[in-house]
Amino acid sequence: MTISTQTNESKLVSKAQNGDRNAFSELVHTHSQGVLNVVYRMCGNGDLAEDAAQEAFIQAWLRMSSYKEKASFRSWLYRIAVNAAIDMLRKEKRILPNTIEDLNLSDSRPGPEAMLASSERTELIREAVLTLPNASRAVLVLREYEGLSYQEIAESLEIPMGTVMSRLSYARKLLKEKLETHLFSYAEVENV
Amino acid sequence: MSEHILEKLGAYLDDELNAREIQKVEQHLNECAICQEEYESLQSLSLLLAEAPLPDFPSPKDFSTNVALRLPRKSVATTRSKAMEIGWWMAPVGLLTAWIFIITTNLVGEILGAANRFGLVNLSDVLSTGSSTQTSWSATLSNFGLLGGSNLQWAQMLESFTRTTVPQMIFQISIAILYLSWMAIWWARHTRQEFGYALEN
Repeated sequence: MTISTQTNESKLVSKAQNGDRNAFSELVHTHSQGVLNVVYRMCGNGDLAEDAAQEAFIQAWLRMSSYKEKASFRSWLYRIAVNAAIDMLRKEKRILPNTIEDLNLSDSRPGPEAMLASSERTELIREAVLTLPNASRAVLVLREYEGLSYQEIAESLEIPMGTVMSRLSYARKLLKEKLETHLFSYAEVENV
Repeated sequence: MSEHILEKLGAYLDDELNAREIQKVEQHLNECAICQEEYESLQSLSLLLAEAPLPDFPSPKDFSTNVALRLPRKSVATTRSKAMEIGWWMAPVGLLTAWIFIITTNLVGEILGAANRFGLVNLSDVLSTGSSTQTSWSATLSNFGLLGGSNLQWAQMLESFTRTTVPQMIFQISIAILYLSWMAIWWARHTRQEFGYALEN
């Protein structure tokens, strides 16, 4: 983010804090895709994600006065988004897959062609991410899908940097175990 | 060859190491097949995760319009909510100030009373003036001949206790209850609003 963009965002934030709806709408416009991405990766369902993202922005609007510029607006917003997604999952009482067995990663699939089928694999990735504990999933999503630095993740989730690193490492370890077969096949395809 | 550096590979992949650490990691990766394999698996995982596409979400323009339609009105409430917020944070300060005032007043009174008893200061006029304005029910009962001797002494002690100690106790207990209530409300709001509860599984 450039300095002028930051300044512009600071002005918009300040206006929104004073109740300017248009300024807030501009902030929504700027951050909608990022928030939708985060909530979708957190709850794994497009419809839920859209609802959760809207809820996140409404919560942000209601709490604008509590935002302090010690963290970036994006980090602050992503924290609200992560929790909106978790709340939404709770409300929907959605049962997430808990174990590698639930994911059917090692079942009798037809063959390597089917294993490499893109849609099937992306579905398994989505489900594997959903099996992660909320705390680790949030860190992984912010890093892998939104490209936040460790510092930004720490600010966003209000946790120490060391915790960011340990949760990310844990999430990657679990995912590697769950997606081992696919990682192997993926590396082979990449090398061809 | 140096020890494995598996714990640094994630930070290396995420470009979170300084120049010196990067140099060390790269040197080690050239020498260690195990760490190299681990690093490649992390890279593959990252690429695999990036493969998962997003569904078709509304455009930023449509989305911001949808959000705008759902935004509750708060323009009038903004100033009021700021005042409420200031009042909320001033409440414990006020309670603590009241508590300190009561304690200090009590302490100063006791010190002056003790100084007066030991003859260090002469406050008999002030003290007697203060007590003379109060109606003493024990003295009244004594005048009517209903109390006397040790009963009168007990009645005077009880009267003194109810006039000085009991109000102070009531004040302090009230302040403590109000303060603890404020803390309980703050804690409940904090845990609900801040997101720790959700992020700790």
